[in-house]
Amino acid sequence: MRKRGITLCSLLLVGLSLVLTACGSGGKKIVIGTQNYTEPKIIAEMYKALIEDRTGLTVEIKPDLASSKVVIEGMRNNELHMATLYTGEVFNGYFEVEQTKDREKVLQQAQQGFSEHYQLKWFDPYGFENTYAFTVRKEVAQKYNLQNVSDLKPYADTMRIGVDNTWLERESDGYRAFQKTYGFQFKEAFPMQIGLVYEAVANEEVDVVLAYTTDAGLKQYDLQTLRDDKQFFPPFDASPVVREETLKEYPELEEIVSLLIGKIDADTMTELNYYVDVEHRSEKEVAVEFLRQLGLLE
Amino acid sequence: MADSLLKFFQYVTDQAAHLLFLSWDHIIMVLCGLALAVAVGVPLGVVSARFPKLAGVVLSAANVIQVFPSLALLAVLMIFFGLGFKAVVIALFLYSLLPITRNTYVALKQVDPSMIEAGTGAGMSPLQLLFKVQLPLSLPFLMAGIRLAAVIAIGVATLAPLIGGDGLGREIYSGLSARNNIKIYAGAVPAALLAILADIGLGKLQQRLKASRKPKVAD
Repeated sequence: MRKRGITLCSLLLVGLSLVLTACGSGGKKIVIGTQNYTEPKIIAEMYKALIEDRTGLTVEIKPDLASSKVVIEGMRNNELHMATLYTGEVFNGYFEVEQTKDREKVLQQAQQGFSEHYQLKWFDPYGFENTYAFTVRKEVAQKYNLQNVSDLKPYADTMRIGVDNTWLERESDGYRAFQKTYGFQFKEAFPMQIGLVYEAVANEEVDVVLAYTTDAGLKQYDLQTLRDDKQFFPPFDASPVVREETLKEYPELEEIVSLLIGKIDADTMTELNYYVDVEHRSEKEVAVEFLRQLGLLE
Repeated sequence: MADSLLKFFQYVTDQAAHLLFLSWDHIIMVLCGLALAVAVGVPLGVVSARFPKLAGVVLSAANVIQVFPSLALLAVLMIFFGLGFKAVVIALFLYSLLPITRNTYVALKQVDPSMIEAGTGAGMSPLQLLFKVQLPLSLPFLMAGIRLAAVIAIGVATLAPLIGGDGLGREIYSGLSARNNIKIYAGAVPAALLAILADIGLGKLQQRLKASRKPKVAD
């Protein structure tokens, strides 16, 4: 009996001491947080390579965070210093914004709002947009003669849709707002990890998927994108976002972060995503190769 | 099939060090969560057994925590405890609390009243009674609670990456996002093995406690 008590107690002590040691770590480190899909991970690897190449800082990447909200919350708590975010994010209730679909205006609101309320510097875009797009299999598009999202209306109540993990709950550009704008809903909506929706539609487990426009899955499974004819989705231009405090502490970062601005267009990004998602190459390898092509890395 | 199995083994052997590292992270998170849950849950169970009025409150509170969807709980904890390790450990602690508290409570309640009478008759104080009679007799039940909590915690811990934690979930989510099934298996299979091993190991321990309890009762 006594022995058991001792083992239990030591287990407890070991546990507690590990909790304590895990808390105390520091050093000159930049932490880049990423959402749980490939694109921001590739970009994070690019910045890791660039920053480690040009400064004495080490960079850690925290991949697969549940949503952009978690990423932003992490930056607010100074646990993450940097991320890739998309301008349409402003419509998710962080602060008061004006409803608009104008690219420039949305970007401006993101830059101003996140600086004011979150002390984050929202840089100018990389040069590509990654927005939501309703897509169907080619034969489904032909069968029902679908071109625009509105064309789905007569068939929607028999169709199943696959969406990412956050869309159903998103406020201004989510499912509820969608129903208001387009005036119909689908028979069933299945939220899942975005990487899985393409296979789901290819296997005919769902009829429509809400894809990300730069996702390699569109190309891989030869899906047809439907035009957002009611302009429901806001612009989603991708930009690097860095804590203002971090930039003050390491001013050299500003220039390095700017290196990629205007350098990645949508086709390039889709291709880079394709290398990772379809050809199963590592994000790091793809990122470094791209930087070499640009001449940013030896 | 054989081909993908081969690829899987190749991947696992190539990445063995990395996978072991992730497994280690996974185990640490689970152990910390469990240790906290034992430290808090057992006293809570003891108190509940002693004061029946409190038992209802404590057990239903633990019940409420249990029905929280794990991802939601993690997201809420992240706001209070930040990204990563701490928030995950607290989540695992909360999930482990119910099985441990409840089993402690039930275990103490099922102790044969004649044993307690015998103890009281021998002049034991309530504390002595608790530590020398009631708790030793309830160990197998308590162990069953820890066993259950461990298996749940190993599963829940795979969600850790979603709020910046480590562990085998890293491999699973990385595989999910890059549509790489081999990676998914490389994370999921070890996690499942951990759960099975924990179940078998703690089950054995439970059996032993049961066996060792019998002669003592006969004494």
